[in-house]
Amino acid sequence: MPEPIVQIRDLTKVYQQGEIEVLALDRISLDIVASEFVALMGPSGSGKSTLLHIIAGIDRPTTGQCVVRNTDVASLNETDLAEWRNQHVGFVFQTFNLIPVLTAFENVELPLLLTSLSSHERRQHVEAALELVGLADRMRHLPRQLSGGQEQRVAIARALVTDPTLLVADEPTGNLDAHAAADVLSLLQQLNRQAGKTVIMVTHDPKAAAYAGRTVHLEKGELLK
Amino acid sequence: MTIPGFILRNALRNKRRLLLTVLSVAVSLFLFTVLQTALRELTQPATTEEAALRIVVRHKVSLGNVLPVKYQTRIERQPGVAHCMKLTWFGGIYKDRKNFFPQFAVDADQLAYVFAEAEFDQKQVADFLKEKTACLVGKKTMDRFGWKIGDKITLIGTLWPCDPEVTIRGTYRGGIDETNLFFHHDYFDELMNRKGLVGTFWIKAANAEVIPELMKNIDAMFANSDAETKTETERAFVLNFVSMIGNVKMLVGFICAAIIFAMVLVSASTMSMAVRERMREIAILKAVGFNGRQIFGLILAESFGLGAAGGALGIFGGWLMGWYLMNVGNVAGITNGMFIKFEVTPHIMAGGALIALALGVVGCLLPAITAIRSSVLDGLKELD
Repeated sequence: MPEPIVQIRDLTKVYQQGEIEVLALDRISLDIVASEFVALMGPSGSGKSTLLHIIAGIDRPTTGQCVVRNTDVASLNETDLAEWRNQHVGFVFQTFNLIPVLTAFENVELPLLLTSLSSHERRQHVEAALELVGLADRMRHLPRQLSGGQEQRVAIARALVTDPTLLVADEPTGNLDAHAAADVLSLLQQLNRQAGKTVIMVTHDPKAAAYAGRTVHLEKGELLK
Repeated sequence: MTIPGFILRNALRNKRRLLLTVLSVAVSLFLFTVLQTALRELTQPATTEEAALRIVVRHKVSLGNVLPVKYQTRIERQPGVAHCMKLTWFGGIYKDRKNFFPQFAVDADQLAYVFAEAEFDQKQVADFLKEKTACLVGKKTMDRFGWKIGDKITLIGTLWPCDPEVTIRGTYRGGIDETNLFFHHDYFDELMNRKGLVGTFWIKAANAEVIPELMKNIDAMFANSDAETKTETERAFVLNFVSMIGNVKMLVGFICAAIIFAMVLVSASTMSMAVRERMREIAILKAVGFNGRQIFGLILAESFGLGAAGGALGIFGGWLMGWYLMNVGNVAGITNGMFIKFEVTPHIMAGGALIALALGVVGCLLPAITAIRSSVLDGLKELD
């Protein structure tokens, strides 16, 4: 058994909503190994997105540990966490979240502006990422000039461009039609199988989950065995 | 793409709002520049070596009160007095009120000594001295009314019950205000039935070192008399003169403060809108690795640029107006002689630039702090 790249131990997340405490995750323990494609499935409010956000370092657990490649994510301060996200996490969101005033090329280039890469090196990385998602011919297009499926592929290119440890996708097909959704899921699968990327995807759609190598079910904040 | 390019792209995304904000900052800075220039022209007389040697003796109560002419002899006897000249503000009307220009009754034989920095024609001064009803007129006023040597003009008294009829015997340039008209104090006194009234005495000190002692001695000499004096430097005198039309400095200061405050609100409002619209994008930036300091830098740079663009435009507008008034328009004519020059100095422009840049910083503080404090998750929920 290879060494897990993500190690989650007794992870609990409690949200305070006014005077009421809401238990979003209840003592979750989970390992994900490198080059795995894991689908986190469950109904609304099951805690799947919360778990993904904690793994990706955009939320913090109340108790427990989330160690990604030997780094306890929760122990990092905000500045270190931002740098860690830049180096280790690529995000794909349901609503694409591209910057509307930037072209596809510039959107993909955005995370690289924080690195020490030269302009020429950045260009090479961006072109390679856009080539990988099949949008080399759409580099100069603004997001509004692209279809939903193309926008999501640009978002995947942006997630890939820094060559992160983890590719995290939160309902990546939620805003797409069936055909575009299949394209995006195939792309994620291809990145996992051919490029060896570790992909963690949240979905409530069994068809989408079928593209993953392993499906983890959550319900009411607990991991179902 | 570069970070500055990204900032520029963000700033230009709502062009109409950007234009309106830049214009509002520009108009505010234009007003600031013009007001500061006006205040400077009102409160700062030309500072030359000659001017630094001049002191003015006036009634202690106010400029509206007059002094007895007999004081002149006693002042002249004080050590350190090189020249002493009676100078009384006449304030008459030439044909119409709108034709305002300053008129003074002076000791004709002392004028060229007390205001030595002005360029007088010696022949014309000699003609002026020979004739009791003669006058000397500054070049700008000569040009304004198209007067020439030998012209006779009548000044209608408003403060004093007399209407001097004077003949222009000469002109002068430079140094002091080029719009003044000087006529004989003897003639004025004659028209006033030899009452022996004097507005002020202008003294030319022998050197700068004697001035503090001289001022003290003159006031001490007339202490406890019917007409106590207040002796002050020319600069202080002009400032007091300006204060007669109200506390101009405070008023202008108040207006400038109100303008700056309004600018802060405009800038803060614009940046708040810009940031609020982009909370989701800011969350994305954080998600891909931008930290709080970098986000703050992006917002600050955008706001800074906005302030700089508006400031540059407004200050340039103010400078252009000053240049036009001084080189093309007739500032003295337009302002009824209130302003001789309208020079937008580098000091005023630098002050305006600093305010514009500070405005950029202050205007973005609140929205930037809000952006930094919001979590990635809160930002992502903005559109969900």
